[in-house]
Amino acid sequence: MALQAKELIYGAVALAVSFIGIAGFFVFLDAPYLAMLQIAIYVGAIVVLILFTIMLVRREVSEELADRPEHAEGAAGLWLAGLLAVSIAGVAALAGPNLPTEPQSANLPVSDLGPVLATQYPIPLVILALLMSAALLGALVLAKVEK
Amino acid sequence: MVALTSYLIVSAALLGIGIYGLSVKKNAMRILFAIEIIVNAANLNFAAFTRYMNPPQVSGQVIVFYSIAAAAMEAAVGLALILVAFRLNSTIDVRKLNKLKG
Repeated sequence: MALQAKELIYGAVALAVSFIGIAGFFVFLDAPYLAMLQIAIYVGAIVVLILFTIMLVRREVSEELADRPEHAEGAAGLWLAGLLAVSIAGVAALAGPNLPTEPQSANLPVSDLGPVLATQYPIPLVILALLMSAALLGALVLAKVEK
Repeated sequence: MVALTSYLIVSAALLGIGIYGLSVKKNAMRILFAIEIIVNAANLNFAAFTRYMNPPQVSGQVIVFYSIAAAAMEAAVGLALILVAFRLNSTIDVRKLNKLKG
């Protein structure tokens, strides 16, 4: 849906829906914090940013760029992706009996995440903060360039 | 409950969809969509594997946390790049953005 919708805006909305679906998977996996983060960042920030950009680039997007691949090209991409996905899924299914079964009690309160983040992984956290500021500044400088 | 295999299959399907978009689509915006889908497949795998460890651990969730933040940054920079490319070339068709070609 996200990739095949005729209008790019519909594609962005479908992308948001699929992100919400993945947030649902996170809830099933006893990671409510990740689900919250997924909805807040992906649906709240990234999709909105994408929508803004689509509106800025709109004129040409909707008219000229039909974005339908040529027949052979689309078939080749489909084969490649299908082969990859089926082989990975096949390996997963074959390894099924050997995979660990679900532990009975998950018992992972959200409050566990903070201490682990701050004590076991402090350096990545700082690097992440630096990366964020650098990326934001870079995006600003890029978007401000004159013709 | 749901087996780990189901999550892995969903994740593989997402990866396949993303690879298809990366290899076939012409619109730079859709390529960005595909990248986001692939990142989400990886996140789902991390969350599933960390949940099925015995005893369950939170370290995988920490990695997903970092990954989501990095993906947000990547989307911001990518969209800025698309904006600049559109302003300079007035197209975001990646087949036409071939100024670097000798």
